[in-house]
Amino acid sequence: MSELSRRGFLQGALIGGGALTLAASCGGGAGARRIQHADQTGELVANLYISVKPDGRIALVVNKAEIGQGVTTAYATLAAEELSVPIDRIDVHYADSHPEMRTSFNMQITGGSTSTKEGFALVRRAAASAREMLIAAAAASWHVPARECRVEGGYVIHGSNKAAYADLTKLAARESVPAKPRLKPAKEFTLIGKTDRRVDARAKVTGTAQYGIDVHVPDMVHAFVIHGPVYGARPDKITADAARARPGVIDVFPFRWGVAVVAEKYWQALAASRDVQVTWGKGDIAGLDTAEMMQAMRAYDDSGAEVVDEGNAGKALARAQTKIGGIYEAPYLAHAPMEPQNATVSVKGKHAEVWAPTQCPTLVQAGVGHALGISDDNVLVHTTLLGGGFGRRAIPDACAQAALISKHVKRPVKLIWSRESDMTQGFYRPPYAVKFEGAVKDGKVTGARMHSISQSIILSSKDMASAAIPGMPDGLKSKFVDSMLAMFSTNTIGDVFATEGLRGTPYKFPSFELTASPVHTKLPVAAWRSVGNSVTGFAMESFVDELAHAAKRDPLELRKQLLAPDSRQTRVLDALATLSKWGTPPPKGVGRGLARHFSFESEVAEVAEVEIVDDRIKVRRVYCVVDCGIAVNPDIVRAQLEGGIIFGLSAALDQEITIVDGVVQQTNFDTFPPLRMFEAPEIIVQILDSDRDPTGVGEPGLPPIAPAVANAVFALTGVRLRRMPLQRAWNERGAK
Amino acid sequence: MKLVVNGKAIEVAVPADTPLLWVLREEVGLTGTKFGCGKAMCGACTVHVDGQPKRSCVVAVGDVGDKAITTIEGLAAEAALHPVQQAWIEENVPQCGYCQSGQIMSAVVLLRARPRPTDAEIDDAMSANLCRCGTYPRIRKAVHRAADILSGQAPAAAPAAPSAPTAPTTPAAPAAATPAGGKS
Repeated sequence: MSELSRRGFLQGALIGGGALTLAASCGGGAGARRIQHADQTGELVANLYISVKPDGRIALVVNKAEIGQGVTTAYATLAAEELSVPIDRIDVHYADSHPEMRTSFNMQITGGSTSTKEGFALVRRAAASAREMLIAAAAASWHVPARECRVEGGYVIHGSNKAAYADLTKLAARESVPAKPRLKPAKEFTLIGKTDRRVDARAKVTGTAQYGIDVHVPDMVHAFVIHGPVYGARPDKITADAARARPGVIDVFPFRWGVAVVAEKYWQALAASRDVQVTWGKGDIAGLDTAEMMQAMRAYDDSGAEVVDEGNAGKALARAQTKIGGIYEAPYLAHAPMEPQNATVSVKGKHAEVWAPTQCPTLVQAGVGHALGISDDNVLVHTTLLGGGFGRRAIPDACAQAALISKHVKRPVKLIWSRESDMTQGFYRPPYAVKFEGAVKDGKVTGARMHSISQSIILSSKDMASAAIPGMPDGLKSKFVDSMLAMFSTNTIGDVFATEGLRGTPYKFPSFELTASPVHTKLPVAAWRSVGNSVTGFAMESFVDELAHAAKRDPLELRKQLLAPDSRQTRVLDALATLSKWGTPPPKGVGRGLARHFSFESEVAEVAEVEIVDDRIKVRRVYCVVDCGIAVNPDIVRAQLEGGIIFGLSAALDQEITIVDGVVQQTNFDTFPPLRMFEAPEIIVQILDSDRDPTGVGEPGLPPIAPAVANAVFALTGVRLRRMPLQRAWNERGAK
Repeated sequence: MKLVVNGKAIEVAVPADTPLLWVLREEVGLTGTKFGCGKAMCGACTVHVDGQPKRSCVVAVGDVGDKAITTIEGLAAEAALHPVQQAWIEENVPQCGYCQSGQIMSAVVLLRARPRPTDAEIDDAMSANLCRCGTYPRIRKAVHRAADILSGQAPAAAPAAPSAPTAPTTPAAPAAATPAGGKS
């Protein structure tokens, strides 16, 4: 039985929108159930992802979250392509939580820039399978061979015979599910690579798009949670009589994360929260100080666990004509999506229903299940639109809180965090110190040594599994955490995130030594757009730039010396050189910096044009070239690269989370400033033609921007900035 | 307390110091206006009060009185689009889309005051609105395109059929977005 047919019929109520709720089971009865359903409703449920409605519209189930990356448009494009229908014939539905929807990392998760990469096979196969069933049905009724039929505009056609999909659903339900449906070859594409208009744009410009914060459930109440000043602090004592007496207030009660203020309306909870006095416990990161932590990381003198040891870097360094060395540094970072963390949960006995803007329904099941002491399988998660995610929305802390509050007040609860909670409640991009040494002889690089010291996402995840993270429920231990740990922890590479983007670098250093050391604190860290690459790209590309200057070589030429000729890397670099007019003198007062990075299986190179205006690093323009395989929706690919660049630039220039005596110092957008319109550079993106299957675009645009800017500042001023945020490094450039 | 929202008179019973944002979202049922920061720093909650852009998260409802409030839902008539909304779609501006109600409300005010804004004027008018997805370069282009549409140099959209995207999996409809009439 093919994978598609095995998955074709599942227990009911699993799929979003009420569109595809079939109470049918896998196995021998699948065909019978499909036929019965089609006969009763006129709907062909071809498989888990595709149904053909009796009116000829196509229902497409998307098992990824729409975070703005355009997955709904991408999947609709892929389905429309294989079914040969206009894209506006497709209705997108978000998949509810279900084991069959776990397609990456053993989870139902949106992350790792995998959506289009995964869907390119999965959605096309599902749609092609439906198409072949429709064709088979038509061919049988006309007594002609199926291979002589074609499809166009929602019809199956053979000679003068023409049948609409809508009229074939009952017959098609009687056809067997194709084991290996034929996929269109690229030369037959009419939509892939040619479709740019987003399917979600209209809802998003008219205010009708429904995010987690907009969810409404009957009988729902609203909650606000007061978090302590130190991450993980528990309330020792609360005084809340005045708050409880306010109109609309249902309850005010302490729980392990803080104090829940519950009211009929959110504005009532918000107002009441100001009348609550709390005496806090000291919290799990009391005493943590990021300045001291970075100092300790700089001073760390262990050489770390070996990750790569090629050639003899020690010898090359000993024999170098010119040696460079130092430390690249990066701080904690918050994700700060525009939509603050929120969740709506209804707990009824041993079951919970969740509506949340989540990147990971599987982890929501685990988090809510463990918070309530019920089975993960009894937690049903509906994914809404997400107002940004960037990795933070893979963490189910707000969902688990809402679940406990719902259980307490015995009503469905919508919990909305303040911006301050969103920014201070951990799961940050970890801080890094990357020590480096490089050797140059006779204008060539002879050796490289790097030591990545960073707080470990793996150790944080282990805390999560052993309940040591206060933001997570007691005893959170689930298949998915185990499988994630198994996947990411191996004896040979330590914490993959410490060295991703460094190990396996396409640069062919004659000798290369790479080591890693994990740092641990009780402040949890997590994936942040491009994860380790957000720092290792900065480290490697600053390093190669420094090597180029030490070798007195053009930074582009030196990179090409170290890269395989005719590789994806050199192809992208050559295109970028042309696009950015690399090698021509920049305008007066402008510095040009170059960087490239390979991540999420895509190669991206960028040139930043930078000025210093009133002591401010000002990025005027960014040129960007990407090789991401086939671009299903080219303008969405460009938008993702633009977005990665601007998200990365905010962090590169200005953002950091600092902690003094356990207290996060940044609480809102004034102290954690994203780039604003007046500082947004012009961005010119070029996508290289490719016949490879699609690879990531949501994250790969980010890693090159920080080093491109740092390298441009060096080109302009001779000042090497090795520490992010770069503006602070620039301001403190004279200081020790 | 009486409010005038998108041309309709509405009676709400809330304390005068309640932020307009939450009155619109919870009492009037218009959720297109978004909560972002609560401190007038991000612009996600931007609405018009007597035609001026206001950060509704810090506007006390009692201070609004009978001034005309316009939200994203009231920008265009049913099934039609405002030229700014049209330009936003044509330039593929929205990514996550969460900030875009506020962005569009700010842009509409800008274009009323400056029918042909320069990039510097766009920067001035739009820098109070944050976008974490990084749509700024497209917003800039879309403002210029909207200026073209408004001045008749680019075609206005034919009233388009609302396209497909997806009610989320919520079993219940969101709070009714239809304000009550002017009674009581």
